[in-house]
Amino acid sequence: MNETGGHVVDNSSRFVALATLRQRITALEGPPKKHTPVEPDSAWLPGIKTLDDALPPNGLTPGALHEASGTTGTDGPSAAAFLVALLHRLSHRAGRDTVLICESDASRSGRLHGWGWRDLGGDPDALLIVRARHDKEVLWAMEEGLRSGALAAVFAEIRSIGFTMTRRLSLAAQESMTPALLLRDDGLVPTSAAATRWLVRTLPSAHDSLDIRAPGAPRWRLGLVRCRGGRPARCNVEWHHEAGAFCVAAALGHRPATAIHERNTFRPAVLRAS
Amino acid sequence: MVLTAVDERAEHTGLMPGMRLVDARALVAGITVEKADPLADQQALVQLGLWCGRFTPRVACDGADGLLLDVTGCSHLFGGEQAMMQTVSKRLTRLGLETRLGLADTPGAARALARFALEHQRIVKPGKVRAALKTLPVEALGVTRSHTLTLRHLGLSTIGAITRLPRAALERRFPPCGAENGLLQRLDQVLGNRNEHLSLLAPPPVYRWRLDFAEPVMHREGLETALANMMARLTVALKRGQHGARRLALWCFGIDGSMAERTVAASRPTRDKDHLQRLFAGKLETVDPGFGIDAIVIHATLVEPLEARQPLLDGSQQDNLAPLVDRLVARLGADAVLRPVFTERRFPEQAERFAGPGEAKTSPFSYPDLPPRPFRLFERPEPLQVIALMPDGPPRLFIWRRVRRRITRAAGPERIAPEWWVPHTDQATRDYWRVEDTDGHRYWLYRTGLRGNGVSRWFLHGLYG
Repeated sequence: MNETGGHVVDNSSRFVALATLRQRITALEGPPKKHTPVEPDSAWLPGIKTLDDALPPNGLTPGALHEASGTTGTDGPSAAAFLVALLHRLSHRAGRDTVLICESDASRSGRLHGWGWRDLGGDPDALLIVRARHDKEVLWAMEEGLRSGALAAVFAEIRSIGFTMTRRLSLAAQESMTPALLLRDDGLVPTSAAATRWLVRTLPSAHDSLDIRAPGAPRWRLGLVRCRGGRPARCNVEWHHEAGAFCVAAALGHRPATAIHERNTFRPAVLRAS
Repeated sequence: MVLTAVDERAEHTGLMPGMRLVDARALVAGITVEKADPLADQQALVQLGLWCGRFTPRVACDGADGLLLDVTGCSHLFGGEQAMMQTVSKRLTRLGLETRLGLADTPGAARALARFALEHQRIVKPGKVRAALKTLPVEALGVTRSHTLTLRHLGLSTIGAITRLPRAALERRFPPCGAENGLLQRLDQVLGNRNEHLSLLAPPPVYRWRLDFAEPVMHREGLETALANMMARLTVALKRGQHGARRLALWCFGIDGSMAERTVAASRPTRDKDHLQRLFAGKLETVDPGFGIDAIVIHATLVEPLEARQPLLDGSQQDNLAPLVDRLVARLGADAVLRPVFTERRFPEQAERFAGPGEAKTSPFSYPDLPPRPFRLFERPEPLQVIALMPDGPPRLFIWRRVRRRITRAAGPERIAPEWWVPHTDQATRDYWRVEDTDGHRYWLYRTGLRGNGVSRWFLHGLYG
């Protein structure tokens, strides 16, 4: 009797110990993601089933570090544009409208053009651009911007970054609820503390709705490589900046692109048939 | 429109203040007219008054075109009254000003002498004011216009004539009118029987402190502590003066006679102690104490008015963007923190200018609705080798950075011509194409020159996402 009683006590104490351990682990891991509805309207889901299922139930949290990189060396601009799309969706907070852009090497891939920023759906008057000389300065400016709590978002491009720095940046982003968007050149090889990591590959676009020869809305193959509280996913999307929304890229987009002169000979009837 | 002031040459031709502009034009052809700016005149007068602080600390403005200098106890520094007057006259003449000077026992008498005496410079010996003013017109007293007119009607044209009259009658006929003095009070002031208050110009406060160390400071930590100490004093003084610092200079005097200067700038006036201290944080690291620093001086070299503001209810300040900008500028340099500003130019590289963060937006225009622009733009367009089917048709293939790219989609051309309003431009017309290659990458290309008109070349100007 005594033994059985002792056994029961032992069992419950083990249960208590496990529960305390679990609590400690969650405390160490940071604020629980699933149960705290942290400003549910500010979190965001892309609206594409594949991605929505892979992301945590609340969607992408604004106060976090999000990383993207091009799949190949030439996909950098697409990855940047994808991050800009994310930025527009995540940075809606009253009283903050300035977006800090940190660029370090303007000669290689060009400098930011406010007009083009406007055409991606942003407000060029809200931009604050930092032209840093090297990666160290970019990271410093980024962290300062995140810690100030005065910005709608911080966007930076960088060649490579260590784990410690990504941890610092995501903590700063979490503290001030400021989205931090980082474009990396190194193809996401080293480890990172970012909430989400994306690989972006450019896809040929469908033609413009008004001009059959003109390029249409940009299409990307998004690979969600890592997602805290979610799982990896892969999806082809089309970005419509006027609507500020992603669409699933239609299968038509996979058709091998043909040269212009061939398409010029198409007649409307033939087009419909295809 | 009425003339408010005329120069010497205009005076000789018969023009005078108060004349209508049309009359003046009818009288003298080809006169140069400038719009009057009384506020700027007043400010200039105050500036001149502050400059006169070199002669005496007590300076006041007199009307819109006069200065009163109380030189009591100062004249001996310039070698006596006569010599001082010469110095003042010479200095002001060197500044391009024509002067009339008067020196007497009372401000009123000095003013009357300067404005109404026959000589350009006049000094009245102590106690001789009454005699000196006897022949001056009644206007010299500085009473209201209605009083002077009445005096003139009564045939009293000089101050001497008034002083002979019984005081009771003067008091009854020329009473004080509002804040203005009556004739009798004014007369007493001019003759020195009644005190006249001057509203003296206050020189702007100087925010500057010096801290001497008992022992030379050898380490940065010591310097930081000293700076924090000075910053506390500075911010208290700034708060009292309702000022905020825009630029601060720190001088560190080494024991070996060396001097290090470090300056920081704020995009908006501030008197936040921690913020200012943080601006110096990166700069102090570069100060080499050498054998030790035995004194530091902090000086707010540029201050602007800053009224006290209430913090928000949660205790935070309203604006934390400006401190961020300051920190970025302090560390990275003023040319590294920028805002894009649209300018009304046609070529894309000129259509956008990068301004400092504090610069106000000047143009009322914003980016027009034209075909979409790339969000990455090359400072220098990169030359390309391009194959197009027709000379002015869309490009089909181009080689950029030694990679061959086949074009599948192209939109254009968007023609951007040189600005016709710019004379002698050597820019050529450009035809811009928005193209996409087989992989889906998008580029912004252009061809310079028109077909059949010299060489046409292709360039890559930007990248789309």
